[in-house]
Amino acid sequence: MKRILALILLHIVVTLLLSGCWNRRELNELAIAVAAGVDWVDDRYRLTVQVAIPGQVTSKKSGGPQAPATLYTAEGDTIFEASRRMTQVSPRKIYFSHLRMFLMDEAMAREGIAKVLDLLSRDHEFRPDFYLVITRGATAEETLKIMTQMETIPANKLYESLQTSEKAWSASMTVTLDELINDLTSSGKHPVLTGLIITGDRDIGRTRKNVENIDTPGQLKYSGLAVFKLDKLIGWLNEKDSRNYRLISGDVKSSVSFIPCKNEGKIIIETLRTDSKLKGRIVESRPEMDIRINMEGNIGAVECSGLDLSEPATVRELEAEMEENLKRSLESVVDKVQSKFKVDIFGFGEAFRRSHPREWKEMEKTWNERYFPNLKTNIHVDYKIRRTGTTNDTFLNDIKE
Amino acid sequence: MRYRRRTGHSSKNTTKEIPPANSSTNDTDALKPDITSSLEHIRTTLGNSTDIVIREIPLDEEEKHYMAILYTDGLADQKVISESVMMVVADITKSLVKEDNEYSQPFDGQKILEKVSLVNHEIQTITDYKKLFHALLSGDTIFLIDGLDRGIAAGTRGWKDRGVMETSAENVVRGPRESFSESLRTNTALIRRKIKDPNLWMETKQIGRITQTDVAIMYIHGIANDKIVEEVRTRLDRIDVDSILESGYIEELIQDKTLSPFPTVYNTERPDVIAAELLEGKIAILVDGTPFVLVVPALFVSFLHAAEDYYQRADISSFLRLLRYLSIFISLLGPSLYIAITTFHQEMLPTRLIFGLAGQREQVPFPAFVEAVLMELTFEILREAGVRLPKNIGSAISIVGTLVIGQAAVEAGIISPAMVIVVAITAISSFVVPSFNMSIAFRMLRFPLMALAGSFGLFGILVGVIAIVLHLCSLRSFGVPYMSPFAPLIPEGQKDSIFRLPHWLLSSRPRLINQTNYKRRKRTPPRKSRE
Repeated sequence: MKRILALILLHIVVTLLLSGCWNRRELNELAIAVAAGVDWVDDRYRLTVQVAIPGQVTSKKSGGPQAPATLYTAEGDTIFEASRRMTQVSPRKIYFSHLRMFLMDEAMAREGIAKVLDLLSRDHEFRPDFYLVITRGATAEETLKIMTQMETIPANKLYESLQTSEKAWSASMTVTLDELINDLTSSGKHPVLTGLIITGDRDIGRTRKNVENIDTPGQLKYSGLAVFKLDKLIGWLNEKDSRNYRLISGDVKSSVSFIPCKNEGKIIIETLRTDSKLKGRIVESRPEMDIRINMEGNIGAVECSGLDLSEPATVRELEAEMEENLKRSLESVVDKVQSKFKVDIFGFGEAFRRSHPREWKEMEKTWNERYFPNLKTNIHVDYKIRRTGTTNDTFLNDIKE
Repeated sequence: MRYRRRTGHSSKNTTKEIPPANSSTNDTDALKPDITSSLEHIRTTLGNSTDIVIREIPLDEEEKHYMAILYTDGLADQKVISESVMMVVADITKSLVKEDNEYSQPFDGQKILEKVSLVNHEIQTITDYKKLFHALLSGDTIFLIDGLDRGIAAGTRGWKDRGVMETSAENVVRGPRESFSESLRTNTALIRRKIKDPNLWMETKQIGRITQTDVAIMYIHGIANDKIVEEVRTRLDRIDVDSILESGYIEELIQDKTLSPFPTVYNTERPDVIAAELLEGKIAILVDGTPFVLVVPALFVSFLHAAEDYYQRADISSFLRLLRYLSIFISLLGPSLYIAITTFHQEMLPTRLIFGLAGQREQVPFPAFVEAVLMELTFEILREAGVRLPKNIGSAISIVGTLVIGQAAVEAGIISPAMVIVVAITAISSFVVPSFNMSIAFRMLRFPLMALAGSFGLFGILVGVIAIVLHLCSLRSFGVPYMSPFAPLIPEGQKDSIFRLPHWLLSSRPRLINQTNYKRRKRTPPRKSRE
């Protein structure tokens, strides 16, 4: 009996070992994709993948003849097909789990991005924490060819700089796959993605020359927000509108703005905290939107003399002026979106769905056409200046001619 | 050495003659009044061994009657022999002989025996050869007198002893430094010195047909569970081997389960630990000839507790214990987690880390599993070599180790630097476990887990860990569940397992060991004195 049991056990163990190692992949058998781009070329997809070369990234003697990353491009009727076709050029199978950036060019975005996204969300290899951006004025392929300084892998540069600029400047925003799909499927909000452009000289940007000097001729830069109607691109917001758009949607962490002085110069204020509340109301059976924004900031710089910042009244005056300024610019961006794009990218509809679910059911179908363009918005800004930095009054007050 | 000595012994006598001879009619035979034949028998039985000293002292004129003094040179204390034994002999002869050098009295064995029995305080009457040989070979001095069918054994045991020295295996920053030595009597004294209670009871047995090793059971009557004491007695009585040379022999012969990497008998060389264990109701088994004392029943947690835990303040001890529990997990799972994550679950790593690891691995020719096994084996070999090497060339090993593993292997591209880090942290973690046999258990289990990780990834590790946990929960040590107080969960026991609460909160002894007398002390916090 014991013998038989032992034999059975032995056979199980042996078969386990014989079955091989299922999906075992050693680290040096992977081509780690860090960025991928999809272009729409002649009604076909062109997939471009930027693959990091780990040895180049980590070795102490970096700056050798090899670039830190390499690019593989393949075309196909479907993206999946293109990605498998890529193995014709790539020595290793592309591994997508560590994707940082997913780029789509403008043509692709105008064609519709939804069919691209399904693959990304379905395939098990994609870890949905990469950011999606739209390249503007260049294809994704061209964009991924630009060499970058500091972060040697361009995808890392794109990733880091999108994160930092979202936090510190707020004109661009990080959108992950989940967030994008959420916006796409929600009836009361349309998606928005950050735009990416190449500035300067593209031809030098592609070569090692780009990173050899202090001056980097070709740069990758985020610029503006792409406005989508469902999954199709319909237009762009400029930098200022982008920032104000993000204020309304309430996820600005920090930014910089200014108000003019009474005499010459400006007072620069650093925003540190914002919080926005969207609240729908029905007034005489018409929807109205209350937008309440609470902000806090510090005085960042003062360019004009004659300002007594130790006086609470002065600060209160500045706050009032700030509120007025902000209100005006927020109104302008809402106006612009209402008249030009006629697409609810702010999520007003979503706010209505939450506060008035019954009424929303009726409005849902015609929200973008009928209600949104004519929606009355009441914007209320509450700005608090908390600190004046390390000094009170500016020394400009003491400069005497 | 040990091996050779044993075979040398057995080649002539042991294999055929000694085991039956020991129990044969000759030995259990009573002593005969005829001293000449008795001495002859003793001589032949001991093979005329040169360290057996036999002195014959005539007791009457015709030298018809004489007495014999027998002792083993080296085992008997020379000082005691020369002072009291020879003194008694001198006394006896003096009383027999008058000034004119003539024997005044006729021979009277009984009278002489009475005089001899005054030699010292440790007197034992001997009536058969079995007792005689045991006493003689334990260092006692035997007096045989012509015409009497009994002799006397006087306690003269005293041999060169290492003495009470500093602990070598279990070091502490704070706490007593003394450790047990090879002499059973010294060891029991060390324990007695710590617990001066009449309820500290001790029983002694001789185990080992040839070695006749003294084995003592110590427990505190009233605290120790009588059933367990009885169980220890029966298990010790069941032992039937020819030799007990170390407590490890006993451990293997009395443990509940042999096929387990985990030790179910605790051992220590620290008297303070033994005292603490006795006070928890456990039973100590002391074996003559080794400083390592066994404790039963042993729980999993006690292998992770250091003596010092009770000497440092509660918060410090709790932190150190947490650290130990963490390090057993590292020492068990370190390399296997690395293998699993880098070969199966690359998506779990932060992106920057995977670049680093992949960059290091670019030139490595082996799979991570082979790499890990190579390094772990190298480390185990180095460690074993370090233990066996003479102390003064031990440093050579560390040089070779650091150079070979740390640098050359990495520079040659055989091993990735990350693997060196993993192996190093695993190795260091395994040394944190205070008990050597527990730490080696985890070190051994590391290899199957690595194989599982190399073929199934985290899934394999999970299966392996579940198997280990199930096995641990199925173990018992002398009837007490090995994993208590975790499984079964005993809330009271949690006070002194992963954490150690202050002494005034530890009001009860381990519940599964002490089923009746488990209150340890009143639960009163220390108070500030009022002025």
